[in-house]
Amino acid sequence: MYGMIHRAMRQMVQEELGEEAWLALEQKLDIGPTELLTGMVYDDALTLEIVAEAAARFNLSVDQTLEAFGQYWVRFAGQGSLSSIMKFTGQNLASFITNLDRLHLAVGSAMPGARLPTFSTLENAPGHLVVEYRSDRVGMEPFVKGLLQGLMDRFDACGEIAVVHRGEKTILFDIRYQDKG
Amino acid sequence: MLLSFSEKQIGALLPAFLHIDKQLNISAMGPGILRHLPHVRMGMPCAEAFDIVNYDTAQFFQEGANVQPVSLIARDSDVHLSGAAIFHDAGCLLAVRFAITEDMFADSSMDLSDFGHADPVILSTMLIVLQRAMLEESQANAIELAHERQRSADLLERTSRVAGYMAHDFNNLLSVIRLNTDRLSRQFGKDEKIGKLAEIIQEMAARGSEITQSLMTLSLQRTDTRQPLAVDQVIQDNMGVLDSVVGSNITLKLNLDADGRKSVVSYSDFLNALINLLLNAREAMPMGGQIALSTSIGVGRSNSHADGDADTDMAASGSYIAIQIADTGIGMSDALLARAFEPQFSSKPNGTGLGLASVRNFAAEMGGDVWLESVEGMGTTAYLHLPVARTVAPLVAAGSSPPNAGTPNALGKQRILLVEDEPYALEALVEMLEAEGYAVTACTSGEEALLALGQNAYDVLLTDVLMPGQNGTEVARDACIVQPSIKVILMSGYVPDSAALQPGWLFLHKPMESAKLLQLISG
Repeated sequence: MYGMIHRAMRQMVQEELGEEAWLALEQKLDIGPTELLTGMVYDDALTLEIVAEAAARFNLSVDQTLEAFGQYWVRFAGQGSLSSIMKFTGQNLASFITNLDRLHLAVGSAMPGARLPTFSTLENAPGHLVVEYRSDRVGMEPFVKGLLQGLMDRFDACGEIAVVHRGEKTILFDIRYQDKG
Repeated sequence: MLLSFSEKQIGALLPAFLHIDKQLNISAMGPGILRHLPHVRMGMPCAEAFDIVNYDTAQFFQEGANVQPVSLIARDSDVHLSGAAIFHDAGCLLAVRFAITEDMFADSSMDLSDFGHADPVILSTMLIVLQRAMLEESQANAIELAHERQRSADLLERTSRVAGYMAHDFNNLLSVIRLNTDRLSRQFGKDEKIGKLAEIIQEMAARGSEITQSLMTLSLQRTDTRQPLAVDQVIQDNMGVLDSVVGSNITLKLNLDADGRKSVVSYSDFLNALINLLLNAREAMPMGGQIALSTSIGVGRSNSHADGDADTDMAASGSYIAIQIADTGIGMSDALLARAFEPQFSSKPNGTGLGLASVRNFAAEMGGDVWLESVEGMGTTAYLHLPVARTVAPLVAAGSSPPNAGTPNALGKQRILLVEDEPYALEALVEMLEAEGYAVTACTSGEEALLALGQNAYDVLLTDVLMPGQNGTEVARDACIVQPSIKVILMSGYVPDSAALQPGWLFLHKPMESAKLLQLISG
C-alpha cells in the first residue's frame, strides 16, 4: 500500500497513544521514515504488520483496528494535503460515494502502481444507499466499513452499515442513514 | 438521426448543458445549472440569464451554423461556461461545462457531480491538484528525512564523543598501570616470579591499549603521536609504498640529503602528504615520465611568501628540511596553480580536490609550507618545507661542570616540569624520571605548573593535556612565552585538536611506554 496509509496509521497511533508508542512500534518492526514515504508503494504485508502491531498496542483485534483506521483515514485525508480534492469529490454522502471511482481514477493516474478498489452505487435513495465494493485485496471488509462510517461522520450523518452480500471480490454494503442536522 | 438522448442522459454527460429554442428562450437545462444558477428558469430568455461572449445574441441563429465554439457568462454570478453550440432545426444545444478554476477545489462551490463522467479536463485538473498535494507531501517527507538524518548524525556524534571520553579515561588508567608495572619491574624484576607477573600485566595493558585505540578509531579520534622524525629515514623506510604510488611507467629518482635531520611531525600525516604530492605528479604524466624526490637542508627564509614577513617559526629559526618533488609532466597554467590548493578544486575529471588541500593543512600545522612551481609543457615541482626539530642539550652527567649558572642545566641535571593530575601516574613518572637522573618538579595542576615556571627555569615541560582548570596546551603556551627554549612534550589519551598545538611540540599518546617517553625527552 502507499506510504500515505502508513503515515495515517502513525498519526492515529500518535494521537491515541502518544509519540512514544509509535516509536516503540517502529523499533519493534525495524521501520523508520523510509517506510513512511507518501508516494512509495509498500508490500501489503508490511502494512498489515503495522496494523497488527498497532492493534496490539490499542488492545483491539486486527479487524477492530482496521475498522477504526478506515474511519480515521477519512478524517486524515480530509485534513491534510488531500483536503481540497476530498471536498471536490462530493458534498454529501451519496455524491461522495458515487464520485469515489472518479477520485480513484485521478489517484491511480497520480500514483502509478496503486491497486485501487471500485465503489458502485447500486441504489441511491434518500437515506438509503447500496454500495458494491470491489477489490482484488482480501480481508479489507472492516476497513471499508470503517471508511463508510468515516464518511457518515464527515457529512454529519448517522445510521447503520450492514454487509448484505460477500462475493469472491465484492462486498455489498447496505447503508441506512439520516442527517444529524 | 443517428442517436437520440433524453435530457437526463445529456445531463449525465454534460451537467451544465442548456438548450435554447429559435426564439432564444431556454428550453432545457442540465442539473448543474439547476444547482448553481437557481434563478435560471425554463422559458426564460437566454439573454436575461447569460451573456453569450462570442456572439451578438440577436444575430445568434443568423451567425451560427453546425457546431461552433461558445462561451457564456451568467449575468447574476461569476459562473463561466464554455463548450460548443450545436445548431439544429429546432434550436441550439449549448454543450457547455463550467469553467474550472483552482479555487473551485478549495471553496467547495462545486464538486465532481457538476462535471461529466467523460470530461477529460476535470480528470486532468484533478490530477494536477493531486500532484500538487503529493508534492506537498513529498516536501514534508524530505524535511522529515532530513531531520531524522540530523538526529542520527547528532546521536553518532554524541556516541562518538562519549567513546572518545571513555577511551581517554581508559588510556589514563592503562597509563598508570603501565608506568607502575615498569616501577615494579625496575625494583623487583630480579625476582623471577614478580618479573613474570609484571610482564603479564604489561601485556594485558598493551592489549587494553589496542582496544582503546580501536575505540578511538571508531569514534574518529586521532591516535597518532607527534614526534621528531628523520625525514630521509621515513622516505627510505617507505620506498616500496612510494614506488607503487608512482606506478610502473614512471621512474622515481631519489636524492636524499637532509643529513638525518628531524622534523616534529605525525608519521602518518607526513607519509600521506608525500603520497598526495606523488599522486599529483603521477597524474600529470599519464604517458609516464620521471619524478625526482629530493631532500636538503635550507637556512633562511623557508616559505613561498618571498615578499611577505617572516611569519612562521620556521622562517624565524631559519632552518628547514626542503622536500622537492619534481615531475616531467604537462605542467600547470598560472590559473590552475593559483587554485591548486583550494579544497574541492581539482583539474582532474575524477579528482576530489582534497589531496593538495590536505598537504597544505599538514604543512601549516607543522609550521611549514608547501607550494608549487610549474612551466606548462615542462613539468611541476612541489616544494614541501618542514622546520627542523630543535636539538636539546644532551643530559649532563652528574658531577660535570655546570655550563652556565642560572640556566636549567646549572645543577648538572636536566630539569623537567611534570604536570599530571592523576596522582598514581605522577608518582610513577617522578620515580622513573628521577631514576634516570632528571630533576623533576611535580605539579598536579596547570595552575601549580605556572607558579613553578615563574620560579625556576626548566629544560622540558612534560604535561598531561586534559586536566581540570588550566589544561596542558594552555600551560605549554604560557611556558613557551615565559621560557622560550623549553621543550614541550604533551601526553594524553586524547589527541588534542591540531589548532591547539604549536609547531615543534611533541605529543605522546597514552598509554605510553617509559622507553618511548625517555627517548622523546632525550631525543
